[in-house]
Amino acid sequence: MAEVDETNTLVFQEDDHRTAYIFSPTDSAEHQAAPQNQNARPAKRRRTSKKGANAAEPDHEPQPQPQSDYHGGEADFPALFNGAESLDAVRLRRTTFETAWPVLSGRIQNVLRRANRKTLDEVALFMREAEDEAETAGGKIPAGFIITGPNIASQDLLFEQMAEGLSEATGAKVVRLRSAGAPNLKAVLKKIIRDATSRSADGGDDAEVSIGSDGRKYLNYDLEALHVFLAAHDSRRVIVAFEDSEAFDSGLLTDLIALFHSWHDRIHFSVLFGVATSVDLFQQRLLKATAQQLYGAQFDVVQADSVLESVFMGAVAGSQAALRLGPSLLQSLLERQKDQVAGVHTFISSLKYAYMCHFYANPLSVLLAEERLLTNELLQPQHLEAVRTLDSFKQHVEAAVDARQLSHAQSLLENDEYLVRQVLEQTQKRKDYMTQLLRSLHLITATGLHPGRFTDLYVSALADGIDLSSDVSPVLDSIRRLNPSQIIDLIHRLLAAISKGNPDLDLDGWEDQEESEELRSSLTEITDEVQALLDQSKLSGKPLKSKYSSQSKILRTTVVAQKVQLSHDTATLTEADKAFSTAVDNLTDLLSRFIHVDPIGSLFLHEAWVYDSKSPYRDVFVPRPATTFARALARPHDYLGCACCSKPDGGLACTFPTTSILYHLYLEAGALLNVADLWAAYYTLVGEESELALDERAALVRFYRGLAELRLMGFVKQSKKKADHVAKLKWL
Amino acid sequence: MGYNGLFQLPDELVLTTLAQAFPSREPQIRALATLVHPSAAPCRNLVLYGTKSTGKSAITAAVLAALENDDIDIDDNGSPGLKFAIVNCVECITGRHLFETVVGKVARALRWDGAPLKCETVSQLTVALSKMLKYTPRPDNFRFVLVFDGIDRQREAPPTLLPALARLSEIIPNITTVFIATSPPAGFLHTPFVSHIHFPNYTKPEFVAILGASPPTPLPNTTQAETTELWARFTAAVHDALARAASRILPSLRHACQALWPRFTAPILAGTHAPREFSKLLVAARVHFRDERLLDPGIVSAARRLQTPPPTQTPTTTTDPSTLTNGTVLPKPPQPTSSAPDLAALLPTTARLLLLAAYLASHNPARHDLTLFSTHHHGRRRRRGGLSVGVSGRSNAGRRSKHRKIARKLLGAHAFILERMLAIFASVRREWDPSGDEQQGMDSDTGMAIATLASLRLLVRVGGAGGAGNSDPMDRGGKWRVNVGWEVVRGLGRSIGVEIEEWLVE
Ligand SMILES: Nc1ncnc2c1ncn2[C@@H]1O[C@H](COP(=O)(O)OP(=O)(O)O)[C@@H](O)[C@H]1O
Ligand SMILES: [Mg+2]
Repeated sequence: MAEVDETNTLVFQEDDHRTAYIFSPTDSAEHQAAPQNQNARPAKRRRTSKKGANAAEPDHEPQPQPQSDYHGGEADFPALFNGAESLDAVRLRRTTFETAWPVLSGRIQNVLRRANRKTLDEVALFMREAEDEAETAGGKIPAGFIITGPNIASQDLLFEQMAEGLSEATGAKVVRLRSAGAPNLKAVLKKIIRDATSRSADGGDDAEVSIGSDGRKYLNYDLEALHVFLAAHDSRRVIVAFEDSEAFDSGLLTDLIALFHSWHDRIHFSVLFGVATSVDLFQQRLLKATAQQLYGAQFDVVQADSVLESVFMGAVAGSQAALRLGPSLLQSLLERQKDQVAGVHTFISSLKYAYMCHFYANPLSVLLAEERLLTNELLQPQHLEAVRTLDSFKQHVEAAVDARQLSHAQSLLENDEYLVRQVLEQTQKRKDYMTQLLRSLHLITATGLHPGRFTDLYVSALADGIDLSSDVSPVLDSIRRLNPSQIIDLIHRLLAAISKGNPDLDLDGWEDQEESEELRSSLTEITDEVQALLDQSKLSGKPLKSKYSSQSKILRTTVVAQKVQLSHDTATLTEADKAFSTAVDNLTDLLSRFIHVDPIGSLFLHEAWVYDSKSPYRDVFVPRPATTFARALARPHDYLGCACCSKPDGGLACTFPTTSILYHLYLEAGALLNVADLWAAYYTLVGEESELALDERAALVRFYRGLAELRLMGFVKQSKKKADHVAKLKWL
Repeated sequence: MGYNGLFQLPDELVLTTLAQAFPSREPQIRALATLVHPSAAPCRNLVLYGTKSTGKSAITAAVLAALENDDIDIDDNGSPGLKFAIVNCVECITGRHLFETVVGKVARALRWDGAPLKCETVSQLTVALSKMLKYTPRPDNFRFVLVFDGIDRQREAPPTLLPALARLSEIIPNITTVFIATSPPAGFLHTPFVSHIHFPNYTKPEFVAILGASPPTPLPNTTQAETTELWARFTAAVHDALARAASRILPSLRHACQALWPRFTAPILAGTHAPREFSKLLVAARVHFRDERLLDPGIVSAARRLQTPPPTQTPTTTTDPSTLTNGTVLPKPPQPTSSAPDLAALLPTTARLLLLAAYLASHNPARHDLTLFSTHHHGRRRRRGGLSVGVSGRSNAGRRSKHRKIARKLLGAHAFILERMLAIFASVRREWDPSGDEQQGMDSDTGMAIATLASLRLLVRVGGAGGAGNSDPMDRGGKWRVNVGWEVVRGLGRSIGVEIEEWLVE
């Protein structure tokens, strides 16, 4: 039987990656008709092709079909190149993925945990102090309101950390509640008692709860049980966290708070509310009497976009990220963060999905493996063929031809060994590019003159490269407008940036490397010069200015013969000013020379290490079932691939599936559909006079089934207004 | 001293002490003590009623505790003749919970150490109580007082609960059941005669007397007597100012006095006024008397800022500038913040658009949809401006005087069908958010936004089969209602540059 199972897995896997299915009932009827033949189709086909050869041969013998993507064992990735990819390459892709992702994921977790730390400390402090304060405020219940933002789902980590941190800081039992698990008072109390009693260190003995010290049993929603338990454990505090407090029924909250208040002299309850909107809106939903029983403080979590920024720095831009996400994908990911209710966790899963897609489906992703594992033998002829079809390859060759490097171009095209060498060399080039990219970005951020966020800067750097001397970049202009001491500060910042690097980006300082030698010495030279000029000007009392600074163009107001004259004063630049202007020019030249990156799309072989396709991501993360249904119903032949339906004009044909025909009729109808009319229209299409020539009974059966399917898909519903009519539910 | 069958009131000393602890409740204290005391006139059922915070619970507990400890009732065996248990019905979630709590408390009061008794129904309760009280030998004058506090607020009470509890004392002779309720309905217990004790609301002199029993600590350079006198006049003034409007009940009045006292006495501390200049003090403190936020600080209380030094650890929580600048201990009440900007900043664009579409769907009649949103005839949407010109040829003033209709935005939100809201959303989306991506129609992000708005209760599902749980929330035919007000929506609209008023048909 194992044999059969394996075959099924195979079929299943094949189907897994198909986007459309052709359902042919006749096939399956055949299967059912021949139950003795339990093997699925591939086996059957093979038997006929091999004309009754040994039927018991193992099923996972290499299959004749091209897409035999099953190798058994741990290499679950499919062999690409129509199955011609070597097992080593497949495995290497897989290990590369498996080493690349965990690094990032660990980093991301770190960033997220760190982002919550401050809020946590504040809440813990409040909870520790609130007990006494609340007592003085008349036995109120301490309440922390944590403004989480609308994406409650992404606050799971926050509450998890909170539960850990608070029980440590206050010795209280922490119970987390979500609205979905809290339909009514009884259920909530049960959960509170269960969680608070079992989470303690000596967790095993929850029998002690149901049977009190006097041998009494308690109902599982009786807070007395909790009281007895806590007394036995020498503690009195319980903190109840309502993670999505807006979604709780306000009556339930009122009841609970009243109950907590009433128990206050025995169990010290505190509450935490995760508030998505604002405390005021939340308060409006509570009774005034309930609100008065709370003694609250408000806490904000770190804004979602700054969390996103840090995650982005570490996981997308940082040097530890093995795979680069391309600018257009990144742009759409970032936009989704802004426009949709999608927390940073969606961003992270999208990131992971991009990694998965790349290593799973792109055979060239193997080039991202560690250098020592990348041997010449690993690259098969198919790899080279694939490389030669790349856009970037074409560009590269064309560029070589333009540059008259004809032999280079020719060898690339014809000499496999040469190409292999070139391809392997790209690893170093990629690394150099990355270093250059990150250093440039880091320096730009260090100037502090670039408006906007790092994310945008990064995306535009990938898409268009960085070229400070171009008109779009505001940086050089801002530099020119700085005054001498600001220039000196700027240079100091840059030097510091070079020596420190950027830990957020995993970028080490590169002070002691020779590449930075020229930049650093020139920068130092310019500072010295500017400093000297500045000292001089202080002595002379004349302010130092450059030809760019606004002071050089003074608007002069002179009154000549009782007329006011405005004139621009341009000329007077002193020698020192000129020297300063040159220094500024030198600085801008220097920076635009060192801060320079090409667009990522212009690099040879970037397809191997940049992932930039949006559609698989959108299909998975933003599915549009309604549109898909509508399209499939409107143009079924696109999916069925049958000859009979695909008319050139794309119109309605009687061979369409019934549901599809009904859908077409439905589109033409008004808000209420008379079922009798619909039937009449349908029967004219498929009835005796048509090509199909169905008799009335058969047609009626199909009609009912089609209508039922439409209803199931939410297109129509029974109308209450008129008998024998159905109402249209979809307006769009 | 044993039971001698003679009518004997509880010890006078005990009663006077109690009456001092609870000023202006002496009649109730005496009546209660007489009606439960074993050697006075113990009755079977007793009803205490009166509005909230009139001292019912506190006085009952105090009287019973005093009587239990009172040694005139200690009989020859040395065990007191009165025991009691108070059950707070508000804490009992179900009828069964009530019964089990009763049994548990009675067992504890009696130090009963038999096997725990299970109790699911009233009859089992009767059996359990009989076992403990009736069939266990007790001294002759023994009396057990069982108090049901807040019995009118018992959850999931079976209809027979009250009559059954009232009959307990018929079955078990040495028990007295006391019911505490806010107001007893007619024929409360279905038994012919029941004693009632009424706890009326306090009058102004009574309030002053009660509050005067606990004067604040004397102010610096004043005597206790002066402070007490000032406090009495002060509480009377607070009562006059606030009792009508806000704090008719004792705890809130007490809270108001405590909140206002530091401000009222600030001039004395500063040395500008003497404690005797009551009217000057009152004039100086007049602003605070009008400040409602002092009395009702909302759920984010100001007191937090009073004790924690803000600069060090609370930069992100709402720090009140007043504590930073003047450094004194007087907390300023939290400033009322408007929620509109918060909401706009919190919600992502799609969710904002959906909420606006929902508001329009709730407040515009469906028959105007075609005029408002259709681009068919005019190539652009018409909005209200175009519409009202079309509707009325008459002058504005004349129209207004004829039918005074209430603006729809002041009326409550109407329910709408989800599909209609989505249609409005789809038609205004382009115009309102041109930067948005080109993808049209419903995708899972839109669904997610609706779900989020629903979980935040900004959109609520109405009617239908159970609304909340059992029907499909994504049913296109489901009915919904928007749950935010005009102010919020206007702010929300402005945050994306839309004057929502232009889209409302009046
Ligand atoms: N006459 C009084 N003297 C002193 N304190 C009182 C008096 N009446 C009520 N209180 C206090 O008011 C508060 C509310 O009383 P409580 O007994 O809970 O009211 P009730 O049970 O009627 O709602 C308690 O703190 C109680 O001590
Ligand atoms: Mg009470």
